[in-house]
Amino acid sequence: MKTRMKELRARYDLTQEDLAKKIGVRRETILFIEKGKYNPSLKLAHDIAKALQTTIDELFMFEDDEK
Amino acid sequence: MKDKIGILICIGIAAAVLVTLSFYVLNAGKIDLDEIMLIGIVLILVAFAMYIVWDRIKNVRKGLPVQDERLKLTSYKAGYYGFIAAIWSAVFAPLAIDILFDIELPGHLVTAVVVLVSGFVFAASYLYMYWKGK
Repeated sequence: MKTRMKELRARYDLTQEDLAKKIGVRRETILFIEKGKYNPSLKLAHDIAKALQTTIDELFMFEDDEK
Repeated sequence: MKDKIGILICIGIAAAVLVTLSFYVLNAGKIDLDEIMLIGIVLILVAFAMYIVWDRIKNVRKGLPVQDERLKLTSYKAGYYGFIAAIWSAVFAPLAIDILFDIELPGHLVTAVVVLVSGFVFAASYLYMYWKGK
């Protein structure tokens, strides 16, 4: 799974810690999602998308073989 | 508040384990190799608990939650591996000791092995998934 989180964080000048505080998770969780090492739950994906003022399908992109 | 109570309980349990262990070592006299190994595992588990406490304190100070969905999932998975390890060690520890050293492992040592092996597997798998992210 690919994500545009890093790009959108930069747009809103948010650090990983800022975003983590905003959505109430640990900073490492944001780090692992960005690295593609952790797939968030639907609720967390929704919270992240909301915090970054975007939608889930614009934020996360699934590769064909992952579907 | 709930997080702080959890941290204090964890520190209290670790301190109680260390005090008990010190009393045991001071009064045991001669300590065998197998006991040294068990004491080593206990110390590793206490170090693991202290690492978790330190990590939680760090997050509380930054205003971040001590646990989130990823860490809960990590705990569940590590708990599962620890449980499997407990079952297998209960079956295979007495068998392996019997085959390798021709000694019948006493019941209290089997219990100790089961508790410590499952604790060790829980700690190792928790840390692996914690750092690896999966």
